[in-house]
Amino acid sequence: MKEGFRQAMAWLHTWAGLVFGWLLFAIFLTGTLAYFKDEISHWMQPEIPARAVTSEASLTLAQEYLQQHAAGASRWLIDLPDAREPGLSVRWQQAPAKPGERGQFTEKRLDPQTGAEVQGRETRGGDFFYRFHFQLQMPYPWGRWLSTIAAMVMFVALISGIITHKKIFKDFFTFRPRKGQRSWLDGHNAVGVLVLPFHLMITYSSLVIFMTMVMPASILAAYEGDERVFFDEVFPASSTPEPAGKPAQLTALASLLEQAHERWSGGGVGRLTVNNPGDANASVVLVRDGVDRVVHDFGSALTFNGVTGQILGTTPERPLPLAIAGAFYGLHMGHFAGPVLRWLYFICGLAGTAMIGTGLVIWLGKRQLKHAKSAVMPFELRLVEVLNIASMSGLLVAVAAFFCANRLLPLDMAGRADWEVNSFFIAWGLSVLHAMVRRGRAAWVDQLVLAALLFCAVPLLNAMTTPYHLGATLILGDWAMAGFDLTCLGSGVFLAWAAWKMQRSGQTERVPRKQRAQSIALDRGPY
Amino acid sequence: MLLALLLCYGGFTALCLSMDRHHTELLGRKPSVRRRQGMRIQGWLLLALSLWAAVSATGWGLGLVQWFAVLMLSGLLLVLLLPYRPRLALSLAGVSLLASPVAAFAQC
Repeated sequence: MKEGFRQAMAWLHTWAGLVFGWLLFAIFLTGTLAYFKDEISHWMQPEIPARAVTSEASLTLAQEYLQQHAAGASRWLIDLPDAREPGLSVRWQQAPAKPGERGQFTEKRLDPQTGAEVQGRETRGGDFFYRFHFQLQMPYPWGRWLSTIAAMVMFVALISGIITHKKIFKDFFTFRPRKGQRSWLDGHNAVGVLVLPFHLMITYSSLVIFMTMVMPASILAAYEGDERVFFDEVFPASSTPEPAGKPAQLTALASLLEQAHERWSGGGVGRLTVNNPGDANASVVLVRDGVDRVVHDFGSALTFNGVTGQILGTTPERPLPLAIAGAFYGLHMGHFAGPVLRWLYFICGLAGTAMIGTGLVIWLGKRQLKHAKSAVMPFELRLVEVLNIASMSGLLVAVAAFFCANRLLPLDMAGRADWEVNSFFIAWGLSVLHAMVRRGRAAWVDQLVLAALLFCAVPLLNAMTTPYHLGATLILGDWAMAGFDLTCLGSGVFLAWAAWKMQRSGQTERVPRKQRAQSIALDRGPY
Repeated sequence: MLLALLLCYGGFTALCLSMDRHHTELLGRKPSVRRRQGMRIQGWLLLALSLWAAVSATGWGLGLVQWFAVLMLSGLLLVLLLPYRPRLALSLAGVSLLASPVAAFAQC
């Protein structure tokens, strides 16, 4: 009975892992990259300078700018710079032409030191990976649904994998390289078991993040089918007051930061929203940036009267379930993580990606052994092989192509940001075609070599097309820029090593087979 | 975080040495039962100590996150080093245990 259960779980692990493995590999890799979303954006918009300034100074600059350029707007949004995202971004929304419509948004980036507009090159930056991670470049809400289903399958695969794994503690420290299929399984188990807390946390929390989308039944039942009422109740700060129609001078916004700082016992402000600026009925909403704590506080905000600067309201104390959901959200996003912890998150993400990748390789390797002697592989195995190659090495090529396109596409090109994304998908699509044309191992080697070359080319292209090359950024101490270049270089070297290993293990596999053929021929020889 | 990392790595190495197979591979002889038990107790103690180090430095919320992070990192590091550079893996454990009082002093 017990063995039967374990076998059933092994079956579930095998097939759930295979069907969603390719998609999950892409979700994990892009999600891992999204931990450095701001740093990637910074690298992809090198024109925007990184400067250390105080929130108060940049907020004063933003207020001056908005009062000059967007005095008649119905709403201002100011995103303050922080250690990771040095840009000061302001947006404003015009009053809608007809009531009930959404007003037009305008967005500008400002230099946080001078208050002048800065024009970065048009790009989606790291936000592309972040969005792809859960929207999969599909129209709303399909991508979110698909990625949530993938997360559910991942959770099933994790649990069934734990049950299937017979010797978790006995093989805890076991990794035996250079043993073919055995090594792949060891590696799969090692990254699976050693990084298990991360896998469980990241998968479960992704389900928690989309819980109101996936399981709205309780909200729909309690609020009689109107989810908006529920969200307004949970996030009171998002409702906008009506303008009074009388002009009034807006208070100095920088003075409100101090008050928020005190109330949040040291917590900083991430975003300010000014409703009806210049009107007697103005209000200012300060949203916490949340980098000082693990538990994310949904919609934690302070509301001030925009004219007198008096405090109007705070978010009430959160009930326990919301705090638990906030803890999972905070853990998943890792906004609180400093540089060291962020790198650990990144490593864990890579380990998760590696676990999925090794799993896919094992599935195919096991079944290929049975067909090792026949010349043609059955169609279904060939299909899995093509998908394996394209979804793993092809995705790496696509990521590198995306970065290269950022430096190579002309700066004034129309639809530049879209073409960067297009080059990502074109590279990915071509990798599928290539994997279909070339035989298995050769296709792996080709694509790994290409990815290695492209990743190594990224710092070179950066040095050739911008003044922010490694020599300059290392001396300046711009670690986001330098770190990006060095990471690309490191990835390139690693991928080159992987390609070399792949090539060599292909040769050693072939040699014994040839020797065997010879010995058989000798046996038959003269007798 | 450094102290927690050092203690975690030392703890995992001790736990690894408390197993017959790894002890034979790394040190070339089978361990006695008492030695195995001693290693196991030491390993668990070091892991518990590293939890205390992480939590006392930054509080429960961030401390737990950091502890899990260094737990996973030190495990990965040890398992990847063992087959390729077994001597380095062992000497790293020795160095980390020797350095941990210094790290503890710096943390306090």
